[in-house]
Amino acid sequence: MLEGVNYALFCLGLAFVFGIMRIINMAHGEFLVLGGYIAYWLLVMWGINPLLSLPLAAAFAAGASFLSYRVFIQRIRTTTELNTLILTYGIGIFLSNLFLQLWTADLRSIGVHWMESPLKIAGIYISLGEIITVTISFLGVLTLHSFLRRTKMGKAIRITAIDRDAAALAGINVEKIDLLAFSIGGLLAGLGGPLLGMLSFVSPVTGIHITVKAFILTVLAGVGSIPGLVAAGIILGVGEAVTVTFVSSSYRELFGFVLFVFILLVRPSGLFGKRI
Amino acid sequence: MKFYLSFRSSEKTIAIITFGLVLALPFALAFNPYYLSIFISALILGSVSLAWNLLAGGCGQVSFGHAAFFGIGAYASALLVMKAGWNPFLAMVVAAMIGVIGALIIGIPAFRLRGPYFALSILGFAEVMKLLTLNLTSLTEGSKGIFNISSLPPIRLGGMALEFYYSRTTNYYFAAALMFAIYLVIYFFRHSNTGLAMSAVHGDEETAAGIGVPVFRTKVTALIVSAFCTALIGAFYTHYVHFLSPDSAFDGYWSVMPIVASLFGGIGTLIGPSIGALVITGLDEFLFKRFFETGHKLFFGLLLAIVIVWAPVGLLGKWMEKK
Repeated sequence: MLEGVNYALFCLGLAFVFGIMRIINMAHGEFLVLGGYIAYWLLVMWGINPLLSLPLAAAFAAGASFLSYRVFIQRIRTTTELNTLILTYGIGIFLSNLFLQLWTADLRSIGVHWMESPLKIAGIYISLGEIITVTISFLGVLTLHSFLRRTKMGKAIRITAIDRDAAALAGINVEKIDLLAFSIGGLLAGLGGPLLGMLSFVSPVTGIHITVKAFILTVLAGVGSIPGLVAAGIILGVGEAVTVTFVSSSYRELFGFVLFVFILLVRPSGLFGKRI
Repeated sequence: MKFYLSFRSSEKTIAIITFGLVLALPFALAFNPYYLSIFISALILGSVSLAWNLLAGGCGQVSFGHAAFFGIGAYASALLVMKAGWNPFLAMVVAAMIGVIGALIIGIPAFRLRGPYFALSILGFAEVMKLLTLNLTSLTEGSKGIFNISSLPPIRLGGMALEFYYSRTTNYYFAAALMFAIYLVIYFFRHSNTGLAMSAVHGDEETAAGIGVPVFRTKVTALIVSAFCTALIGAFYTHYVHFLSPDSAFDGYWSVMPIVASLFGGIGTLIGPSIGALVITGLDEFLFKRFFETGHKLFFGLLLAIVIVWAPVGLLGKWMEKK
């Protein structure tokens, strides 16, 4: 169940960008993995605590998404949806093969001893690392939520999401908002990477799995619902755990997909979304 | 952007020239088995790209998981031949029909919504199919894979027998014939009423629905035809390489490369994807792999991004537009 909160963070970037810009960022998972590799690298090269490298990893991923938006996406922002899908997919392929070239196909795990020390809370043993990652995830979701609700910039982003033209008329620089939103998406992804590396591992092919899972969660939660994402993450986390316990660990990934098809058939607007 | 006014006479000429070159290529390569095997895979890719582009160029639907249909076709045919002892030719056709069942399973829920839902759910579908073949070990042998899959039986033409087991040349020409057949199927399909409906859906879904085009049914039909062709090629692949594992049959290659090939060749054209497949396979084999041994596919990601931004009609499409 705790894993579910982490899922919410892993998916936040994609859900955010989709909600605001109506762009599915197919490279989302790769940005996340990039953050993971940065943290791994810092740990191996200089022994830097992965928690300290968290901001740096996030900054790198944000930079990468900033660049891809400026160089590529901006130019075809207004054409058909199909184009941005293929474009971000291409960026994802580029990144994952770059990882393959730089860091080989090995699974890289960010392991630190003190993280594995168990704590006993209410009769259940939980490792310290799990608590820390869940706390960070929760804080990440909360921060984004209040950023969108409380700040002026957040308000501008929300208005742009609702009606682009009206926002432009009201004097909001929508181009800038798009760039900002896409970079925030990358930032959130980069934040998730080191956490994923601490909990399990990152590898060049992790990215695309994350993207798929993030999309499933976004649909499950309903587009544009950030608190819904946490709930959906928990549902998915629990469902997977149940599948592992009662069916088989190899069918773990199946649960999400079956749930996804079911949601598409029964309630395509998601659990917490408005009707499309 | 004129995506779908592609049935010009100049394109037919290009298609004829392409198939002429494909037929002549083995002579230029002096029937060298190594080069032939490269171009057999190029032809296989070309066929999958044609099928992929029926959805993208015809209907405006991007599939990120055509590996699903390819793998279903490959496994279905292999199992029918190895476990049930069927004739491989018959098995290929039945395998293609099983691919259609897969298309229905994913198409019906995903096409109910517009936007990126189909593109991503089919990506998940490909993952799930791979997972199932890995885990249903009693049927598919799991990650061990299936070995020694029998090749297609020889075709007897008069006194001459076309042998598939030994001869690369036979396989090459059979792959070329398959690609030609798929091209014809797609050509006539695009000219049928459903094909016209597809163009309308691609142009503007709401307008199309407004003038009475059954949008949902059109999309599902296009997916069925595309999946049938892809699964058929997958089945041919299995009898050509004689070995199948979940990793090879559902390899991301079969999802990614048709996209690259189609965009490179031009998704607004009919023949473009197969030309794109031939060109990029050549580029990959003789150029990219020299630079980056392991990460050579990063060029394709870059190529995809550059083509879609600066030449969304594809390089061939751009060239034809100028004429």
